[in-house]
Amino acid sequence: MSCINVIEKERNVVINPLKTCQPFGAMFAVTGINKGFPIVHGSQGCSSFVRYGFARHFREPSEIAVTSLHEDAAVFGGRKNLVAGIENLAVRFKPDLIGVITTCSSEIIGDDVYGFAETARENIRKTMGEDAQKIEVVPISTPSFVESHYKGYDNSINAIVNHLARKDEPNEKVNIIPGIVNPGDVRELKHLLSMMNLEGIFLTDISDPFDAPLRPSTVTTKPFYPKGGVSVDEIRDSANSLGTVSICKYAGSGALSLEKEHNVPAEIDSPPIGLQNTDQFLRNLKKFTGHDIPDDLLNERGMLVDSMADNAARYLFGRKVVIYGDPDLTTGIARFVGELGMEPAMVCTGVKGPEFAKDMDKIAKETGCNMDVMVGQDLRAVEVYLKENPADLMIGNSDGRLISLDLGIPLIRVGFPVYDRVGYQRQPIVGYRGGLYLMDLITNTILEKYYEPTHWKLQQ
Amino acid sequence: MPYKLLEVDKEIPERKNHVYVKHCSDPEDHIPNCNTKTIPGSMSERGCAFAGVKGVITGAIKDVIHVVHSPIGCTSYGYGTKRYPTSPDLPNGEKFPIENFNLKYILGTDLQESDVVFGGIKKLRQSIIEAHKEFPEANAIYTYSTCTVGLIGDDMDAIAKELTEELGKKVVAFNAPGFCGPSQSKGHHVGNLTLFENLVGTKEPPSTTPYDVNLIGEYNIDGDLWVIKEYLDEMGINLLSKFTGDCSHDEICWMHRAKLSLVRCQRSATYIADLIEEKYGVPYIKVDFFSTKYCSENLRTIGKYFGLEKEAEKVIEERMAKVGPELEFYKDKLQGKRVFIFSGGPKSYHLSKPLEEELGMETVAVASQFEHKDGYKKMKDRVNDGTIILDDPNSLEFEEIIEEYKPDLILAGVKEKYLAHKLGVPCILIHSYENGPYMGFEGFVNLAKDMYSYIYNPVWRMLEFEDEPTEYGVEKGLDKQLNCDGLKEDLESKDQNKQPDGEVA
Repeated sequence: MSCINVIEKERNVVINPLKTCQPFGAMFAVTGINKGFPIVHGSQGCSSFVRYGFARHFREPSEIAVTSLHEDAAVFGGRKNLVAGIENLAVRFKPDLIGVITTCSSEIIGDDVYGFAETARENIRKTMGEDAQKIEVVPISTPSFVESHYKGYDNSINAIVNHLARKDEPNEKVNIIPGIVNPGDVRELKHLLSMMNLEGIFLTDISDPFDAPLRPSTVTTKPFYPKGGVSVDEIRDSANSLGTVSICKYAGSGALSLEKEHNVPAEIDSPPIGLQNTDQFLRNLKKFTGHDIPDDLLNERGMLVDSMADNAARYLFGRKVVIYGDPDLTTGIARFVGELGMEPAMVCTGVKGPEFAKDMDKIAKETGCNMDVMVGQDLRAVEVYLKENPADLMIGNSDGRLISLDLGIPLIRVGFPVYDRVGYQRQPIVGYRGGLYLMDLITNTILEKYYEPTHWKLQQ
Repeated sequence: MPYKLLEVDKEIPERKNHVYVKHCSDPEDHIPNCNTKTIPGSMSERGCAFAGVKGVITGAIKDVIHVVHSPIGCTSYGYGTKRYPTSPDLPNGEKFPIENFNLKYILGTDLQESDVVFGGIKKLRQSIIEAHKEFPEANAIYTYSTCTVGLIGDDMDAIAKELTEELGKKVVAFNAPGFCGPSQSKGHHVGNLTLFENLVGTKEPPSTTPYDVNLIGEYNIDGDLWVIKEYLDEMGINLLSKFTGDCSHDEICWMHRAKLSLVRCQRSATYIADLIEEKYGVPYIKVDFFSTKYCSENLRTIGKYFGLEKEAEKVIEERMAKVGPELEFYKDKLQGKRVFIFSGGPKSYHLSKPLEEELGMETVAVASQFEHKDGYKKMKDRVNDGTIILDDPNSLEFEEIIEEYKPDLILAGVKEKYLAHKLGVPCILIHSYENGPYMGFEGFVNLAKDMYSYIYNPVWRMLEFEDEPTEYGVEKGLDKQLNCDGLKEDLESKDQNKQPDGEVA
């Protein structure tokens, strides 16, 4: 009987984290709003480190303001900084939405962020006149010392939806909460929706803001805003959709709020990585909309199935894979490598959550493998594990590159951050086409590493 | 009027004093207002004090464990900071057993809500003990305060003292919570003071020579330090201690035994040179190794100090013979190109003149995130009339400068790079580099080559769709004749610990 073995963390200290703090998730979420501007109520590092991280991964500008808390604010409170920060941002950048994101310091000082944000909003409405009437100011509570970046993402989607969604005429659309994914993934989700003849409201949509064209003749400047992102109006309209699918089990609060407040039914499921998860995503869409899955889309499915039939057994069967990273991503990938006949020998996530072990248990039963599972662990734990339990392949972010190099185990790059290769942010791993891409990547990596370049086995 | 209120700043007029256009008849003290608190919500590019200490000062030390006392974010962001390669060589002739230890691991206490309420000391204590067990080979443990810790008031010095005795290994606490000071500069200062007070004078070097120097404020970004070390080695000068590029913990402990300190980054590290001079009488000189001219001048100064003038001349002569013709090529190509240098601090004055004098470029704007008065004075000295000097420019000002001054190239950080590209201007990473090292004679060629390849990247000629095919003149094309591979291989063969490829910044 296949089962999972949960490996508990043996130490208190974290070594090479596989998670970061809440504000990160909120900055990511607000960036996915058209003319949405995150402002972090904290020290300068709280924004500059994240901007650095986004720039490094997406190779795109990442504009995130900060209230620049210095010593005086630590002593006397951050009211002045927050009110002035929102006002300066509003008057100079004229955004449609300002996401006010708290941090460890502002939460510890005990600033009344909701009150201060309201003061600032009133001030800008008075001083800026017409321009300012439409600027939405959304406070998002993301204390850094509670849970992780996923909680921050969840909190922010929930706060934005609660702040904006308004019941109106039904719109025949589907809301999608995509989780912390790449532009390529969002675009693939849009492709699936369009094949289903559906329009989606993405809560939120980082695809264009984090993968924008270079076209100086069309760019808006002073301030620069990337095109795209979900508009404030679209978010308002999310209350009138046919349903909400959160493809991130760790960020379902926004979907549940819409269900509770506006009777928009919610489905919270794994991301559509691999065959069965994509099937389930489409079933969820069908359930909400009654739209059938068109033949063209079933043909896309068929192409993935074809490739799995042709290649998986020959090249991938029984290969041991170690997967690390965000919980929803690793869950999806573990299931997919299982579908490919590979063995998800160990899966590690830095985020804690009761769902994770349960999902892994299901995958272990499906694949017939005994799986080791680490919940709330770090990259050092992965390294130590791999030294004792060799694997054929690692799947995770670039932070594992030195482990991969030291142990001679090839690394398939997925998730965030990937900074030592290019293009990964553009390639989808969701949907049938994303599955094909990921499968090809895995197969070619196996061929490269484990087959002698001159061997006859490489001849078709 | 020398001070300029930019169009984008009309709503924050206090920015006017931070933006200065050089005019030669201005009084000497006319420089941008600097090192002051940042205007909230202005889209400053500054970082925090924690970034200043861990990201700049200590992150380059090869044999210590870094334990960040923080909620998880600061620890995550402290990982994979600058490109600080290290060699495993230790001063006692042994090798440190874990390669790239400084880049490979970061540790943290992952503070939770209950720690915020009841204090994080117990967790820190336990974490340091576990860190010691996990990496027994490390020669010291450095631990960092962050915003949370500064606010809840954990006494990290007391824990460091206690555990130093208990573990028999030096534990050093750095108290630079993110919110302290206007920028990362405060963290540099805390890093200097902490290392001086805790370490300098506590150990004796295995051996000394009459030619021992400290190289201070050189962090070995992309191997810069190794370039300079080679010159000094050839001259017969011994790098007794580095602060802190490719440096070991022990080297800091015997900095007081050098005959002379050389201060390279004068913003982040003059503090410790001053302190060592004051307490131990070791004099220091400020040095500059960017460009062939400054590098030659400074090697001569060092040579003269030690009576090694001939040796210095030999190094200069050999290197100039090697790089001279290549630089001529680049000078020809870069002639008249307008450049905007937006560095953290000193590189804005290190590079302004060399780019003009040695490569024929025109420095139209310089800026810094966190310079102080002394730095801005140097910046002002080294630019022409009409050049704009900005302190802590925000992203709207960055756009206005691009629009008004029309640079052909920007030298800045990764946060600015992709915005510049979206506006159609090539941008080179100057905090970390593109294809460094950029220091010394060979490094200056690397910089010239990167500037050349960025400016002449064919893509800038085809940014927009044209209805009719456009003919481009060949003189604008990338010259494939020139081959710098020889030089590159030369540098790489010396760089035993070359980084696994690809880190961006």
